[in-house]
Amino acid sequence: MDSQSAPFIRLNAGLTIGYRSPLARSEREIVLTEGTHFLLARNGRGKTTLLRTLARTLKRMSGDFEIQGFTQYLPEELRFDAELPTAAAFRSLLPKARWNDALDLARRLELDTAKPYGRLSTGNRRKASLIVAEFSTRPNNGNVLLLDEPFSGLDAYSREAFETLWCDPRDPVLRLVSCHPDYDSMPMPSALIIEHGRILHHASPDQTWSSLKTLLN
Amino acid sequence: MRLFRLTFATILRRKSWAICALATAILPFALPGFSMASERPVLLQPARIQAAWGTVWVCSLLWGLFTAARQGESNCRSGLGEYFQTTGVSPTRQWLELWLASLAYILPLVLLAAGICLTFAMPGDAAERAMWWQINAQYTVLFLLVIASLLGLAIAIASRFGSAAGFTLTLGLALYGLYGVGLIDNLQQVEADPLLQTLSRFSPQYRWADLTQRLYFKLGALPAPVFWKTTAYFVGVLAVSTAVSRLLFRTKSAI
Repeated sequence: MDSQSAPFIRLNAGLTIGYRSPLARSEREIVLTEGTHFLLARNGRGKTTLLRTLARTLKRMSGDFEIQGFTQYLPEELRFDAELPTAAAFRSLLPKARWNDALDLARRLELDTAKPYGRLSTGNRRKASLIVAEFSTRPNNGNVLLLDEPFSGLDAYSREAFETLWCDPRDPVLRLVSCHPDYDSMPMPSALIIEHGRILHHASPDQTWSSLKTLLN
Repeated sequence: MRLFRLTFATILRRKSWAICALATAILPFALPGFSMASERPVLLQPARIQAAWGTVWVCSLLWGLFTAARQGESNCRSGLGEYFQTTGVSPTRQWLELWLASLAYILPLVLLAAGICLTFAMPGDAAERAMWWQINAQYTVLFLLVIASLLGLAIAIASRFGSAAGFTLTLGLALYGLYGVGLIDNLQQVEADPLLQTLSRFSPQYRWADLTQRLYFKLGALPAPVFWKTTAYFVGVLAVSTAVSRLLFRTKSAI
């Protein structure tokens, strides 16, 4: 996979996802480029299935897709050993040059990196795994982050901090973020929606969760 | 090597390795005091040898296999295996990194036991001294080959069937290879049975790696051809167990 150029995800028309039976299918070609794209669907409609399919840890049922960039899929249930302090996880997983940035963000988010992972709250555990993913991106390369419910358990302040980080233009990163938004005015200029067994792409600069949620029935 | 570093740090933080390190360092000096060696000083060195290598065997088979099995299960169930796979770390490489991290904790224990034998149980006779270095080196090599194959299996079985299965199955296999195969051979001497003969032939002969009795009775180092043949045998066992481990190992839970 060439990860030197700008990242993109291309879902070809006819891509079908599912475990044993088909869950959803893309009716037409969808191309996602650098930036943040939200993945919206009601429970059990195939958000995690789509992310896992794109991460190639689950086989597609039919059709094809293409991804360009260094890919990381962050499962919702990702966790570290209960006795391992988050700082030790950062030191093990992140490049040395990025330790300070990661620890700095952790401090701003009030994540106690000296505390064993098992004693952190659900939200703080999410912060830890999100920081690992964000600071494991490869600078000057195309990066694709597939994030499964990264906001679950996060407080509003931390969520905003990550959203601000995502606006940083220094690293070319494509983020596909599955989530259940909790406020109507949340901006979603690009969203993949899975509904009635179809994968659809809605993009508009002034699009918000309020305008999209009516599509999820 | 991110998974290796994470696994190494995780085992380090659990601190139970320290109990094994202390046991290996202290028991060879403490246990002989409770044996016949306390009354007959001539037995002190053999008792120390037995305690040193016995402790390493117990620590490796109990703590080592348990730790490896726990890491194998944890990598699969915590989502880390799936995460690493998406970043390009193949299942083979994940298994290798977990295996290396587990082995990294066993290696110092083995070297410590060999070091104790060489420092505190060295024979006085000059000719025996040269042999002592050789047999301890041979023991270290054979021991590591056996433990390496078992650790890899424990990780792989645990990733598929859970840590309890990974630990008990590999511990059972180790005990069978150390003691069970010998019992089968004894039965064979009483009455030859083709079924038992076949079973013995295809069983892992881990007992050949246990040179404690050779050290204890100062029987001398293994002759070079025997040592290389035994090493080749255990390299073969390691190759087979690696292949089986790779087939069993998985990076994520079944959906």
